[in-house]
Amino acid sequence: MSPRLRVVLLAGSFAVLAVPAWRTMQALPRFGHHALPYGDAINAAAPKQRHVTNMVSAVNFDYRGVDTLGEETMLLAAVTGTAVLLRGQREGGERDRLGPPRPHGGRSEAIVLASRIAAPFTFLFGLYVALHAMVTPGGGFQGGLVMATALLWVFLGDGHLAWGRLVRTGWVDACEGMGVAAYAAAGLGTMLAGGAFLQNVLPRGALKSMLSGGLMQVLNAAVALAVVAGFLTLFVEFLKETAGLQGETE
Amino acid sequence: MTILLGLLYVLAAAGGGCVALIRDPRRQVMAISANGVVLALLFLALRAPDVAYSEIVVGGAALPLLFLVTLASARARSQDR
Repeated sequence: MSPRLRVVLLAGSFAVLAVPAWRTMQALPRFGHHALPYGDAINAAAPKQRHVTNMVSAVNFDYRGVDTLGEETMLLAAVTGTAVLLRGQREGGERDRLGPPRPHGGRSEAIVLASRIAAPFTFLFGLYVALHAMVTPGGGFQGGLVMATALLWVFLGDGHLAWGRLVRTGWVDACEGMGVAAYAAAGLGTMLAGGAFLQNVLPRGALKSMLSGGLMQVLNAAVALAVVAGFLTLFVEFLKETAGLQGETE
Repeated sequence: MTILLGLLYVLAAAGGGCVALIRDPRRQVMAISANGVVLALLFLALRAPDVAYSEIVVGGAALPLLFLVTLASARARSQDR
């Protein structure tokens, strides 16, 4: 197909599609408005029923808690698959552990200093986001992501050795599994207590308190643990792939 | 607010275009990262801070890192042969 014919075809399809596309856009709800009753219902019900002010957490950990168990399991399966694939390839090879540190002639003291300052504050912020899941935007997933990024600062600033001292692969693997297991166990625990699977049977606490939400606190902590460990595993496994590389950029 | 939103829409479109048009993979990864940050700001401006948190970490840092490592690893293996 010649370029000229392609342009003609493109112009033709634009001309045909322009009118229906314009009419569809005109029929859409106005920007910022929606016709979905679910969000409004949650906004009205959650503060009274669950004593939380972050509706996203209320949906994720309570009203649709079973869905989040599925998502947790997906994350666990994806991370496990990656780890099995990459570790299997390196089996017994010299790349199986992070090698000796490369002489990082290019790493300036400014980067080392900035990373050392940023790492603890990033971790603290992640912890804050995870702990305040019931009150302000954020939650276990977002906070866990931020905490995992904090440990990347360590890698950026101080390299393999400091990273290896801080992050023990065995512990991280255990945390990943335990996070998901704790989520499922919490569901089974509520059944033992006489409720339905993942029914919020714990006391709800006071509205706008960091410790409100009852069972959602447990689920939030389990998600945070699984997400930190999952992303750390991903980072470690991928960074091990670069151990011993001597590219022209280093 | 409308001006800010418009600016962010233009930036997001430009960033997405850059990701598609840049041919050098390493520069493309940097474009993905920048586009992730712009998208996170856009989500924040549209009052979706939960998604903004996830986007800025996953789109701005985690995904580009995994891409960069994969590129470095692939380049080293092709040099080994």
